[in-house]
Amino acid sequence: MRNHFCLSAVIAACCLFASCSNLPKDAAEKAPEYATELTFNPGEESKIVEALLSLKANTSILLKAGKYSFDNLSIAQVNHIALKGEGKDKTILDFSGQSQGGEGIRITNVIGLTVSDMTIRDSKGDLLKINKSRDVVVANLNAVWKTADSTSGGYAIYPVMCNNVLIENCYAEGSSDAGIYVGQSDSAVVRNCKAAKNVAGCEIENTTNALVYNNEFYNNTAGFLIFDLPGLSKRGGHVKAYDNYFHDNNFRNFAKAGSFGTSWGVGNASPGSGVIILATSHIELYQNRIINNNSSAITIASGFAVDEKAAEKINDNYAPISQDIKIHNNTIEMGPEFPAPAYDHHIGKLLVAIQQKLNKRIPVIMYDGISSNIMTKGTAANPDGICINQPGDNIFVNADFLNMQHPEKWSPATDITAYTCK
Amino acid sequence: MKKISFFTLLSGVILGSLAVMQSCGSGAQKKEETVKGSAPLEFREKLSDYGFFVGKLSSLQPQSNVIPYELATPLFTDYAVKDRFIVLPEGKQMRYVAEGALDFPDSTFIIKNFAYTNTNHEKIMIETRILVKDPSDKQWKVMDYLWNAEQTEAVKHITGAKLPITLLDDNGKAVSTVYQMPNTNDCKRCHIKNDVLTPIGPKARNLNFTPAAMPANQLAVWASRGLLKGLPDLKAVEQLPDWKDSRHFSLEQRARAYLDVNCAHCHTKGGDAYNTGLFLEYEQQEPHYLGIGKEPVSAGSGAGGLNIDIIPGDPEHSILAYRMNSTEPATAMPELARTIIHKEGVQLITEWIKSMPKQKVPAK
Repeated sequence: MRNHFCLSAVIAACCLFASCSNLPKDAAEKAPEYATELTFNPGEESKIVEALLSLKANTSILLKAGKYSFDNLSIAQVNHIALKGEGKDKTILDFSGQSQGGEGIRITNVIGLTVSDMTIRDSKGDLLKINKSRDVVVANLNAVWKTADSTSGGYAIYPVMCNNVLIENCYAEGSSDAGIYVGQSDSAVVRNCKAAKNVAGCEIENTTNALVYNNEFYNNTAGFLIFDLPGLSKRGGHVKAYDNYFHDNNFRNFAKAGSFGTSWGVGNASPGSGVIILATSHIELYQNRIINNNSSAITIASGFAVDEKAAEKINDNYAPISQDIKIHNNTIEMGPEFPAPAYDHHIGKLLVAIQQKLNKRIPVIMYDGISSNIMTKGTAANPDGICINQPGDNIFVNADFLNMQHPEKWSPATDITAYTCK
Repeated sequence: MKKISFFTLLSGVILGSLAVMQSCGSGAQKKEETVKGSAPLEFREKLSDYGFFVGKLSSLQPQSNVIPYELATPLFTDYAVKDRFIVLPEGKQMRYVAEGALDFPDSTFIIKNFAYTNTNHEKIMIETRILVKDPSDKQWKVMDYLWNAEQTEAVKHITGAKLPITLLDDNGKAVSTVYQMPNTNDCKRCHIKNDVLTPIGPKARNLNFTPAAMPANQLAVWASRGLLKGLPDLKAVEQLPDWKDSRHFSLEQRARAYLDVNCAHCHTKGGDAYNTGLFLEYEQQEPHYLGIGKEPVSAGSGAGGLNIDIIPGDPEHSILAYRMNSTEPATAMPELARTIIHKEGVQLITEWIKSMPKQKVPAK
């Protein structure tokens, strides 16, 4: 055993030289084995609650098919744990009786966690929050609220301050913020997931080294968001999204009026948004199909677009100007008209105004045009490495947000030359 | 040249591997030693099994080695009546620490009993929470004991409980509620800081006063009895204001002390609410971290349609006061430890926010 461990350590040491991938391993590759395997049936809710409170390391918990009702569940400070059902349509956990706390399931300080093969639904707060954990897999999970309105919790699947996260084959519906939300984490993969009827289908926020691929986010207010917010534990960036299908995200924004902050929240996402990149850098979007998001297929914005005090918030963890944004080889189509809810939304109205000013259909990529020139007093046409390589016409508009309040100076420009990838 | 550097690199790999192997060996030995040490602590089944108290258990009459203590500003828990004790192992001492909880020796117990006053003005025991510093791994462990209806014993109870009670609040007014005894993960939720379970209450600054039942400052008493070492001159020890004492402390001091004790165990870097960017420690000076002019990050509908944590001069539109004034799950703050609104606490924070000079908030 000892030799075996040493051998792996040597391999690991050599591996460092060979510059191993830092990406999460496949769930299947890990093939975890557990010292203790517990199995429960519907009706044994109180035993399950007790089991989760008395967990020893290296335990898997199997919830057999059927419907379970819980107030809330928690797992804390114990390593190598699996909480599994018998399948998305078979094991159902209902949290509509939640009477205290912020979420249905909360998991904190776990190294080596798998939550899989079940439906969780209808909590008062978030459905599944995983805080300060490492080596996390969430797979084959439905996380849903039956009503998509502001009474739903904020996030369906919510890893935050985690390291090495894989979310795959999941479905999120009805969140009043983001269905799949990865916050303040490092090394995250979201793949083969679907999200519908959320305000945001999926959001990667203040998170580094994220890969988002083979997902379908549709019928949300906004399909996919990559945001950095000020004042948080870390800066995000280095996010790639490819081979996704972001479509028909034209749902009304049902985030409780203003409840996510006038400036920063997902309440700002206009109905009809495909992808929004806000105040974050080193982003690559490619080979996605971005179809029928009818207000803005892709928005690139700086923190200044939503917060005039963004400059005061600059520090090691926050930079308001989005830089090094690569958008190429996507298939992008927009319908002929804005969705009706966009006309009632404060950012939607701005997009409508841009279209009116241009006197033609709004281009598929909308850039707020607030560049680092405002910090450096520079004059370069594209100082922040925005690089777009998309076929077709009516691709791009620099919306000149800085002058939007001054109709006589405001001049949105559709010339893409300076922003074309070299 | 190239060959040499390749050789250097290669030998580097080999040496590196050897180093790993060596450290492996010593690591494994160390592990065996740890295993040989004392077994992990097991909690007793009943509160009486520990022998902390003499006479009738519910009178909580401490044994001579059981040290009662009080806090200048305590956590609000449904107007619960709390008794607190520290039990040091024979011949061991606590050590003064300027910031955070005192440094306790291995095998220290910290006991906190929760009771309420019923409509007959009787003290009814609810639960007794125990923290113990396990000598096998030097980590704090938590357990909770639920009192029986006969009030003769408290029994180990990990799953928490919902207890319908009618209590008298601080004004003697009857309030009916379903008291929520926490489960052991709920305990960890507030007590974990930087991934380590830690005591919250017994910080020097919150102990630095003279409780009504004591002849002098309790830190000084402990130092003179040889229970606390390293205590500097009391003038050099920070003092957390008593949130009710408006004669000696300003509104701001009292409000900040209240927020420290009721919020900052989670709302601090490394705490459960680290991700919110709202940090409410007494020493916090950064307005944005304190919530002044700050938008919430992940409050969801819990913010109640409001946009800013604290708007100076405008408590009605400040999320902080709104969430303290709620009992709805996903809205109420703190999320745990209370099922009814602490009216006096809400009033204090409301007055504090009202007293702040109004600032120009950019119109949206």
